[in-house]
Amino acid sequence: MIIYAIKKAEKLGATDAVAQLAKERRSQIRFANNTMTTLQNWDVEKLELFLSFNKRIVSTSLDIITKKSIDAAIANLAKLAKSAKPKEDFGGIAAGPFKYKKIAGGYDKKILNCDLADKVEAAMNSALKKAQKTAGVLYAAEDSVELATSGGAHASDKGTSIELSLRAFCAKDESGHALSCSRSLNDFNPEAAGSKAALLASLAKGPVEGTPSKCDVLFDPMAFADLAGLTASFASAFYVESGFSFLADKLGKSVASPAVSITDASDMAGGFGTESFDDEGVPTQTTEIVKKGVLNTYLHNTSTAKKYFVKTTANAGLINPSPRNVVLQPGSRSKDEILSGIKNGLYITNVWYTRFQNYRTSDFSTIPRDAILVIKDGEFVGSVKNVRITENLEALLKKITAVSNRPEWVHWWEVQTPVYLPYVLAEKVNITKPTM
Amino acid sequence: MVAGGIAEFALKAAAKADYAEARFESARVNEFTLKNGVLEVSESSETQGLCVRVIVKGAQGSAFTNLLGKPSVKAAVSRALKLAKQSAKIVKDPVELSVEKPGKADYSVAQRIPLADVSSDLKIRELINIDRALLSAGVKLPARFLTLRDETKEKYYVNSDGSNIRSKIPRVLFDYMLTAAADGKTVQRMFSFGASAGWEAFKKWSLAEKLAEEAGMLGKILATAQPCPSGELDVVLSPELVGIASHESVGHPYEADRILGREAAQAGESFVTRELLGTKIGSDVVNVVDDPRLPGSYGYYLYDDEGVKANRRYLIKNGIITSFLQNRWSASRFGIPSNGSARANNWDAEPIVRMANTYVMAGDHSTEELLRDVKKGIYIKSYMEWNIDDKRFNQRYTGLEAYLIENGELKHLVRNPVLEITTPVFWSSVDAVGKNVEYVAGNCGKGEPMQGIPVWFGGPHIRLRKIKFGEHV
Repeated sequence: MIIYAIKKAEKLGATDAVAQLAKERRSQIRFANNTMTTLQNWDVEKLELFLSFNKRIVSTSLDIITKKSIDAAIANLAKLAKSAKPKEDFGGIAAGPFKYKKIAGGYDKKILNCDLADKVEAAMNSALKKAQKTAGVLYAAEDSVELATSGGAHASDKGTSIELSLRAFCAKDESGHALSCSRSLNDFNPEAAGSKAALLASLAKGPVEGTPSKCDVLFDPMAFADLAGLTASFASAFYVESGFSFLADKLGKSVASPAVSITDASDMAGGFGTESFDDEGVPTQTTEIVKKGVLNTYLHNTSTAKKYFVKTTANAGLINPSPRNVVLQPGSRSKDEILSGIKNGLYITNVWYTRFQNYRTSDFSTIPRDAILVIKDGEFVGSVKNVRITENLEALLKKITAVSNRPEWVHWWEVQTPVYLPYVLAEKVNITKPTM
Repeated sequence: MVAGGIAEFALKAAAKADYAEARFESARVNEFTLKNGVLEVSESSETQGLCVRVIVKGAQGSAFTNLLGKPSVKAAVSRALKLAKQSAKIVKDPVELSVEKPGKADYSVAQRIPLADVSSDLKIRELINIDRALLSAGVKLPARFLTLRDETKEKYYVNSDGSNIRSKIPRVLFDYMLTAAADGKTVQRMFSFGASAGWEAFKKWSLAEKLAEEAGMLGKILATAQPCPSGELDVVLSPELVGIASHESVGHPYEADRILGREAAQAGESFVTRELLGTKIGSDVVNVVDDPRLPGSYGYYLYDDEGVKANRRYLIKNGIITSFLQNRWSASRFGIPSNGSARANNWDAEPIVRMANTYVMAGDHSTEELLRDVKKGIYIKSYMEWNIDDKRFNQRYTGLEAYLIENGELKHLVRNPVLEITTPVFWSSVDAVGKNVEYVAGNCGKGEPMQGIPVWFGGPHIRLRKIKFGEHV
């Protein structure tokens, strides 16, 4: 059907055409108050069409996928293109065909046959050894995609995933949150997630009001994933041009401390967001975005790459190039070694609601949630609540003094692009709290 | 199968469930994005799909599909039933729904200029005109991002209690993000206009004039804004600030599913408990409601996605917590009827407790009167960054266009005033409320998977006394 769509589009005058047929089979169990609240299942197919008629760019999404509906949709797009103005800087899509390497670790049939309720029970029971209450979600999915382009690319991919997000509560204001995300059942560990969430909740016992300060902060992977993921997304050439990025005009310049190297590893074996080709059919690759603190490249599709006189980084998004697996490269010390060196500080285990005053300057604030533990001489000595990180993202990246040696996957409600990262230590982080 | 037929067929197939509902939705969507004066992409899509939700022995199962042949629909219903039956053995806390009068209705929003009659040509021309108006403002705007989206959504909802509801709601949304620059500094402004209406809503917004004016203001902020004073100051907040505060710190914490813990791992819980019903949370002049029935509103509906008739609900009346937003599950837990707050953003999402149009009700002060009694204070007209914790207790708004008030008069612009304040203090500090209510459009996020849903939030100007301003980034 996608080949049919490409031929039809070309017949009607499209100069570039991409057709992607995506199939999603997904199951979900939601739970709260130690009981399952709903079980849900998705069986969805979508055909996405992206066409250019002499640089007039149009797109559509189809739920009904028949030759008749494709004919009608392409005729409609051809008509729409007549109204559109040309995007003169559109550089077209990639010229194929391409050879695709087999990326290991993306499909595990066992995920589709496992008892999901058992996994939820295991996670909850593990958490309830220390905690009083649990809430969360479990997903298991099989996704497939087939793509064809007028540039001669034709590819297909299929993957599975399983992920659990669990929040445990010991009492009011005493909570912890942990995850297990994997492409294979063997690497999925719901008990460990339940156990970590409950441990954090128990350590957060009796939190007191936090105080404004500039202090050392040890970020749990879950807490720093949002910021690492945003940094990688801000490397999108589209965001740079749209005013949505502090990385504009910073190529080759320092944007983080030398301890920070961020890559997009779209082709990583077993990566949670791994795909073997991007949205124009280019085989995915690993791209160093920030190398030892210096901005190395923006993320590109073929069109944005032409504008910057570089090669595509295989990150299409046909409009907005984007990362698939953001990796914050690990350092050499363990989390415990880093923790032992902190005289006074906070261990922030999770954040949410990150919002920017200005994407160009990267002034922002984000709110720690769940356990916020007070560190004194390398030990947890208490917990606080009702504080906020009020910072500048570039400045915060430059305040990073250490990155631990064991990365973990983070993908959940607040972090939609998978991030693989270790613990992060930053110094003199600006902490604020309500003035009244 | 036609729309109604698909939903009816699914409901019939689910007859073995203790409760079943089917919701078929179709939508026609057009979207145009202009980046720095250049049309980035034009999108035109028609989407459709089905949600089937069943309850069997206290266990709830749902299936979502856009494969709409009879065998596929039957398979989807079977999956929902199977999920519910399997989990019925292990669910510790059965799902029950409040008893409601079945809703029966067929309604639509009238369009003076139907969206279907407006050409793509015209929509693109309008965006280009707005961009030209921006450039004429005499301010350096290196990044201009304009998006126009219109959507006409039809729903057909049936349930085993006898509800049968059809609706057709057109919506128009205009989003923009501007970056203004001068002397190596930048400021950014993001805002949305939205309505449930035809093209007449877009025309009424007079966007070219408004955005040109706004661009001029961004230039003034860059050129003239002075540091914000610190210390104890009175604050006058515009409808834009009042709207976001009512949405974030009244609407969200009054969602009964949060209060009951169902959203604890995602959108969070609430500092408000059911024991706080009837207690004081704000000053006597604070009245906050949520009303899905506001004509033309972006969050408009007359029946919710569980077939319950929508009504206005008082969240705060004279400073007292009066009621929560309820769907049939939460209402059952509270032992009361639902107040029609169940919404799903699309066919592929479950209905959960949501706001519609949340606002502070009008008081009796003119804006001049609110300012007149302020010896020293800050007037915040628009904002940039904002956030609130997941219990909805600790909130923050950073002003964009904001002025110093001295002896009842607006003085110079001030830079980045930060209101970082707890919710009870915020609403208890309100001593006067303005007369004229205005609304802002937004897409509110909640649910797992995330559902962005159209809402309005608003209010009149309000005045808060003795607010501490500190040192911030």
